[in-house]
Amino acid sequence: MPDPPARDEDLVRRYLSGDRAAFAALVERHERRVYNLALRMTGREEDARDATQDAFLTVLRKLSSFRGEAAFTTWLHRVTVNACYDLLRKRQRAPLLDRGQDDLPAREPPPAPDHADTSSLSMDVQQALLQVPEDFRAVMILHDVHDLRQEEVAAIVGVPIGTVKSRLHRGRIALAKAMGIQQEGRPSGEAGPSGPDEPPGGPGFGERADAAGPSEGTVSP
Amino acid sequence: MSHPDDLLADYVDGTLAERERADVDTHLDGCARCSAQIRQAEAARTALSELEDVPMPFGVTGPVLAEAGRRFERRRGVAWERFQWAGGLAAAAALIVVVALNVGDGDVRNAATPAASSASGGTGAAGGAEAAAPGAIHFAGIERQPNVNYDDPGIQAVALEAADAVVAAEQAQAAEPTSAPPEGFATSVQDSKERTTLAKDCVRQSGIQGPQDVLIRLIEAEFEDTPAYIAVFSEGPGAGQPPDHIVVFVVAKDDCRILSTASQRVPPG
Repeated sequence: MPDPPARDEDLVRRYLSGDRAAFAALVERHERRVYNLALRMTGREEDARDATQDAFLTVLRKLSSFRGEAAFTTWLHRVTVNACYDLLRKRQRAPLLDRGQDDLPAREPPPAPDHADTSSLSMDVQQALLQVPEDFRAVMILHDVHDLRQEEVAAIVGVPIGTVKSRLHRGRIALAKAMGIQQEGRPSGEAGPSGPDEPPGGPGFGERADAAGPSEGTVSP
Repeated sequence: MSHPDDLLADYVDGTLAERERADVDTHLDGCARCSAQIRQAEAARTALSELEDVPMPFGVTGPVLAEAGRRFERRRGVAWERFQWAGGLAAAAALIVVVALNVGDGDVRNAATPAASSASGGTGAAGGAEAAAPGAIHFAGIERQPNVNYDDPGIQAVALEAADAVVAAEQAQAAEPTSAPPEGFATSVQDSKERTTLAKDCVRQSGIQGPQDVLIRLIEAEFEDTPAYIAVFSEGPGAGQPPDHIVVFVVAKDDCRILSTASQRVPPG
């Protein structure tokens, strides 16, 4: 009977005590998840590649100070989400002329032939997802796409669980609207009116102040 | 009418307790707004859950693993490299004159950073002009920045600033080849020799300083709330060639463990 796979935290310890292959094992284990999280967050393959590399390089730099207070996967997700925020900020600062059509999520890898219908639906969802504010998008991707529990999402994003619930609900409504799903719950060609007690464009996205990632509370001189 | 907004996400997830779910159901019977939101949220959740994982493109994490290998070798091999380098230095002693950089008050010498050696000579007489390697930066002692808390972008900014300073030094020295290395960084508070030595020892103890690294700046500050030393090195091919890389290491003051690093290529002049 084969040995059970090593825990992430054990791989971290092994790397720090001189087992070079342990880091490669960590990367191999998590790269697909990190890449997909980054792809959903940024909507662009090129950015997802960069964010994936940035996230793992940050992990590499900080492994020696990883104390195991949070689970490794929680920490890895946090680092990845922050890498995506950083990239999205950089992209926002980039001149519009440099952006062009690349911003559209149509640069995802070509769909597998036997999943053509699903993939075209995925592209619509992905495009709509990019219209949802980042903090809400992150919570939805972590919970609804990656199936993480609300408690884990709260730990990753660094907000109270009540905020996760609120972002989840409001983010879903915003996504539905961006997909053209009206309040009757079916797709429509044009956006309908907002609910009676909501501002135009969907539920309020005013509570971003508590969304700071772990690196954002510090000074960048 | 008050709406049970804090329960609606869990309602859609199907994780509400039976009683709470019944309460929400009762509310939904009479509330068109919440019923509509539930339908939208359910549609969005379904759409998201149907998103399929995309296969990992080739070559994304290759550079990361390469960097991991380099760092690993650097950590493991630094003592051996120093030993080898010391042997090489002894053999080449007749050809190479080590320029001892003046540090702060002039009596702490940067003998552990021999890449500042200049094949063209120069003896580093205190206070005197010397023919500096292009891009050499005068190390001016430790800088204390007691109220500054760096993060990774901050460290990257330090690396970028150092690269700019190296380029400026190259240009200045090209214009006036016999001048002393320029003062690269103004020291806000220049402290005692002991403090500088302590910091250098900690940096050395962390095992990060390679034989080709020349210390050009040392900052005492915080990194993500941990008291830290930030050591800025220039790296180059040696032999009088200008540095081509800046490497910044952050080590914890208490146990000299590595907290972070950044690097920056120096654009060719």
